Amino acid sequence: MSNLRDVYIIGVGQTPCGKYPTKAAHVLGREASWAAIKDSGIYARDIEIGFCGHVYQGMGVGQRTLKDIGLVGQPVINVEGACGSGTLSFWEAWRTIAFGQHDVALAWGVENLSKIMSGGPLPLEEDDIEVALGMSMPGLYAMRAKRYMDEYGVSKETLAKVVVKSRLHASKNPIAQFRKETTVDAVLGDPVICDPLTRSMCCPVGDASAAAVLVSGEMLNKIKRDESRLPIKVLGCVAQSGGYASATGLTCDPSENVARTSQMAYEQAGLGPEDMDAVEIHDAFAIAELIVAEALGFAKKGEGSKLIEEGTSNFDGNIAINPSGGLLSRGHPVGATGLLQTVEIVNQLRGEATGCQVPDANIGLIETMGGAQPAMDGITCVVSILGK
Amino acid sequence: MSEDQERKILHSDFFTEDPEPRLIAGRCKVSGNWTFPPYLADPVSFQDEIEHVPLPKVGKLHSYTIVRRSLPDFPVPFGLGLIDFPEQKVRVMAQIEADDLENDLTLDMDVETIVGIVRKAKDGTDIYSYKFKAIKK
Repeated sequence: MSNLRDVYIIGVGQTPCGKYPTKAAHVLGREASWAAIKDSGIYARDIEIGFCGHVYQGMGVGQRTLKDIGLVGQPVINVEGACGSGTLSFWEAWRTIAFGQHDVALAWGVENLSKIMSGGPLPLEEDDIEVALGMSMPGLYAMRAKRYMDEYGVSKETLAKVVVKSRLHASKNPIAQFRKETTVDAVLGDPVICDPLTRSMCCPVGDASAAAVLVSGEMLNKIKRDESRLPIKVLGCVAQSGGYASATGLTCDPSENVARTSQMAYEQAGLGPEDMDAVEIHDAFAIAELIVAEALGFAKKGEGSKLIEEGTSNFDGNIAINPSGGLLSRGHPVGATGLLQTVEIVNQLRGEATGCQVPDANIGLIETMGGAQPAMDGITCVVSILGK
Repeated sequence: MSEDQERKILHSDFFTEDPEPRLIAGRCKVSGNWTFPPYLADPVSFQDEIEHVPLPKVGKLHSYTIVRRSLPDFPVPFGLGLIDFPEQKVRVMAQIEADDLENDLTLDMDVETIVGIVRKAKDGTDIYSYKFKAIKK
């Protein structure tokens, strides 16, 4: 792995998160992609390859997107990895450059969920035996929450505080889906979706796209671009599929996948959790922020709630978690999410956050966790580490 | 999805009712590792010598939730749980029944394998499969 080439992000773009049922996925995608290309200062024609992450947007959405910005002919790969589709497309773009096959790549993610549903749990794959029996993502996370809360003495109020912090961050973020602050009482007073998760402890249905232009270190020095735009280096990028849980004991816990993947990313970057300033993690449900923060090494097992209770994970705390508002409040347009997270961290490191700016952010991490499979610890996990 | 003449049954290969409801797991003849449902090859030995063996009737409820919002084919509320078979190191997700869903379920309680209604078909008829029921102390 020591022969990997340096990879930089030189441009990012995103659309607001919200419900746009009349806006086709490729229209959202071209807005974000064009914004990323303009931000990079390169010519669109310099893009050698594109990777489009999505889950529900049908055939050829990547090609449809690039056609509308004058990009045809180059390879375009549509990437699916459940909720990790966006970061999986980013990983593809990173690796094709890191391994020397291309010098300039565009990665974007897109989803228009409101075209296919108005609310409720995400439609999952009927061929999955657990889905056919009634498993839903809120149900799965609710079961994790119940066990975790019992084992570690965590209250519903603490889960509600995760949402309160998330809404506070999002209230300052103009692209966030929910920009109104909330209270513990309001969160707990919401209808219960799957006990103990109330509606606002679950991420919303929404649409968006986000994109990033990646280049090799060699190309960074050669290419004509806007020199005033700070390039952000990819220090680590690792994708892992879920592991068999029954082979390792009674665990079907995606946090094991997160721990495994992030450890590899930390090793690749030569850094540890203590080096991270700003992180965007996959808080699809309030409980996930606690469990994932532990898996990433920001708290000991069972002590993730301290980050919330002590304010350590606020945007101006020791480890700023989800300064964008995260999936709970910025939004979770499935295939777009990983790139929305990536754009947020790039903006944080540039000192150009659209919302809450993390003070002195030099190094950031993105964690995306996709899907569930019987007896496995998730479908896809991607962890990236970025630095100035 | 397969059907018998009386009932629409889901996942009929994964359980038996003869002589009592049990899940059918896979056990690798090489490693002794169990999986539910049976896989084509064992994740420990990577061998394909898998025998199909019933799990114990009673498992332990690792966690559960009462689902109050779901997809249209699943009338709510219903219980959903993770059931452990510690000796076999197998964890199964399935629906959980209880006489009183709100009050009868507790973590780590014993639950027994049953066969019952798990959802509706598109035409509104009931679909049966394996599920678990709380055993009252």
